[in-house]
Amino acid sequence: MSTSIGLKDLGKIIISSKSGLIGLLILLTVLGISIFALIYFPFNVVAKWNEPTFWQDNPRVAAPQWFSQLIGRNLPQTIYITPQDFSKYEYGVTGLKYVILESRIKYDYDDFPSELFAVIYANFSGNNPMATVKIIRPDGLEVVVFHNVLKSDMNFLFISSDISIKETVKNSLAGLGLVANGTGTIYPEICIFAVNNENMFTYGQANVLKGTYKVRIELIFSNINDTADAKFTIYGKVYGMAGTDNLRRDLFIGIVWGAPVALAFGLSAAVATSIIQSLIGALSAWYGGLVDEIIQRITEVYMILPFLPFLIMISLFYKVNLWLLVVLIIVLSIFGGITKTARSVTFQIISEQYIESAISYGASKLRILFLYIMPRLLPYMVANIVLNVPAFVFLEAALSILGLGDPMMPTWGKIISDAYSNGAIIHGYWWWILIPAFLIIVTASAFALIGYALDKFVNPRLRER
Amino acid sequence: MLTKYLLKRAIFLFLTLVLSVYITVLIANAGGKIDEILRAQIKYDITRNLARSPGWAQLPEEEKTKLINERFESAIHAKGLDKPFLERTLIYLIDALTLNLGRSLFITSASGSKQVSVIILERLPRTVILFTTGTIAYSIVGLLIGLRMARKPGGIFDRIMTFFAIITQAIPPWFFGILFILLFAYELRLVPFGGFLSVPPPRDPLNYALDILYHMALPLFTWIFSIFGSWAYVTRNLTMQYSEEDFVVAARAKGLSESLVMRRYILRPSLPPIITSISLSLIASWQGAIITETVFTWPGLGMLFYQAINTLDAPVIIGLTVVYAYLLVITIFILDLTYSLMDPRIKTGARR
Repeated sequence: MSTSIGLKDLGKIIISSKSGLIGLLILLTVLGISIFALIYFPFNVVAKWNEPTFWQDNPRVAAPQWFSQLIGRNLPQTIYITPQDFSKYEYGVTGLKYVILESRIKYDYDDFPSELFAVIYANFSGNNPMATVKIIRPDGLEVVVFHNVLKSDMNFLFISSDISIKETVKNSLAGLGLVANGTGTIYPEICIFAVNNENMFTYGQANVLKGTYKVRIELIFSNINDTADAKFTIYGKVYGMAGTDNLRRDLFIGIVWGAPVALAFGLSAAVATSIIQSLIGALSAWYGGLVDEIIQRITEVYMILPFLPFLIMISLFYKVNLWLLVVLIIVLSIFGGITKTARSVTFQIISEQYIESAISYGASKLRILFLYIMPRLLPYMVANIVLNVPAFVFLEAALSILGLGDPMMPTWGKIISDAYSNGAIIHGYWWWILIPAFLIIVTASAFALIGYALDKFVNPRLRER
Repeated sequence: MLTKYLLKRAIFLFLTLVLSVYITVLIANAGGKIDEILRAQIKYDITRNLARSPGWAQLPEEEKTKLINERFESAIHAKGLDKPFLERTLIYLIDALTLNLGRSLFITSASGSKQVSVIILERLPRTVILFTTGTIAYSIVGLLIGLRMARKPGGIFDRIMTFFAIITQAIPPWFFGILFILLFAYELRLVPFGGFLSVPPPRDPLNYALDILYHMALPLFTWIFSIFGSWAYVTRNLTMQYSEEDFVVAARAKGLSESLVMRRYILRPSLPPIITSISLSLIASWQGAIITETVFTWPGLGMLFYQAINTLDAPVIIGLTVVYAYLLVITIFILDLTYSLMDPRIKTGARR
């Protein structure tokens, strides 16, 4: 049975076995995701992925949105107050120009925002304007966030991290009789949105005050023609389908784009090594004698070489990108396990009559090798390709963990290694690891299941030798 | 016969080792990396030695440079660094084979030494502890489960374990490692996130050993979990293949007990091919240990690789590659030894 399988039969074998069918369905889904990625996000992901400003409107390390439903808590989404959302009141008094920007937002979430951020676009020709940013809480308390002279026409207020802003918030609350105990730092995104009690400054103990908040920005200009606009962002704790990473990047885009990259990487490495190793194995058996002896010895040596340390050394000393890495892997696996399998299959093939008849009518050795032997090895090559794809996908991920992967490409391995090196495990940012990990596992399992179905038919006894 | 076989294997493996190390040297020195490192180290040594000599500070600047350069040139000549490329690589080959690995750039051993061989030797036992315990454990677990699977092929246990084997075979241990750290260390808080000892380490020997075990638990579990399945699957297939052989059928017909048939008639002949398949998986897992250790911050050789990559410590990386070449060759030789003891055909000189 083993030698009479054609390439066409492989399809039937896959579909007729349960594991093959499941594997195939999974693989088609992943392929679907790849195609979806290429069509739905047609922009240059690689360039955008590494450009921090492109992602600045997303919350940092946010969980996926569906996590809210999963745990039954309404986690905050990001609230954007754009310049159009602010209602603007302007009036002049005694040569001064007053501009008031005000917006109401409803905050009904069960958790605090992750960050507060504002931009004031001031358009002035006179003296630098004076600006006051206030948040008026549902319970009527007015918290001053910023009270200062604007230095330029575009002012970024990093409310959650700027020390002087934190100090302003602290003083403003103290003025209302709410004193933070201890000299420790306060978290504006928590105490501004917390129920007024003794825990309102303590991370993890404060309760969310739900209701309608007002963001109010008051500006005083010296020139009657001056004016201002503002943007206010209350970053949430959930985002999108797959959350975000520490650079606010949408992991869904990274993960979906990782699919075609992983498949292309794994498949090209697997296809090339399988073809080369099969060819060498066939060569070994077909030419026999000294050629066989030499190839067998080289294969044995090759299989004891420290493959991964070599790969590490090369990629460290000679900085390689993803596609050069594929070439390297192929070169380092010219000989291998498949050489041995292909050799023993070729021995079976060349004892058959049609090879003998080909020899007798004078076909050249190379002609027989390429036209009569290699096509018969095709099913084995396909089975080996399928079986080897996961190993290469994980190899890329492993090199990423070691810091040797392609630094620009958003591969699955790169995302997991970013998560790992940014402490996602210690902080429990599970989505950053589990979602790409789930996809890798599913894809690898799909290949393994198809490979298992093929393997049983293609190599009924060979594996055991 | 046995010694002849072993001698043949030893020669073959030694040649493989030489080749591995030579490839290492070639890769490292193709960009002139080794030359660069050695020159810098020689220059450093000379400058330091001269600076210690009396009267050095009084010498004028030009005199100093001249003296340094003179000594440098002669040292380069003595070491053979002015020889052509190929000849140089042979010098490096002998240095590397004798584990004369030079000094590291940044990494130091716990004892404060910068000798690469000292640094590596200090890490080696930790890798060997984890690796050998893991290998022995997963071999035993895999063997037992595989025999159990072969007892009722196609049964529910066999089918579940086969599925488990297929999936785990495709996924490397370090990958499970990341998931398990998230589950057992972060979520359940059962084990530490990584490392080898608590800080500060316990004083008395018993607690010291227990502390190491506590840190080893998760890496060990991960290793066993991810490898024993494919192991069991191989054992199952081999035993099933042998259990249909005539001599096994005959033994059963004689009325021998099932466990005796299993031990003497099935397990014994199927062990040599099992050992062959271990050798391949061992080579893979030695190298896989590089990433597994990194993930668990287990301070062995693999973790040293990671540290050397991050600090761009080229001498350590080259040294580690050489040591890995040694490790793989030694592993295969030990397997050959076991194989030769198990397979009676080798003793009698019959062809394998």
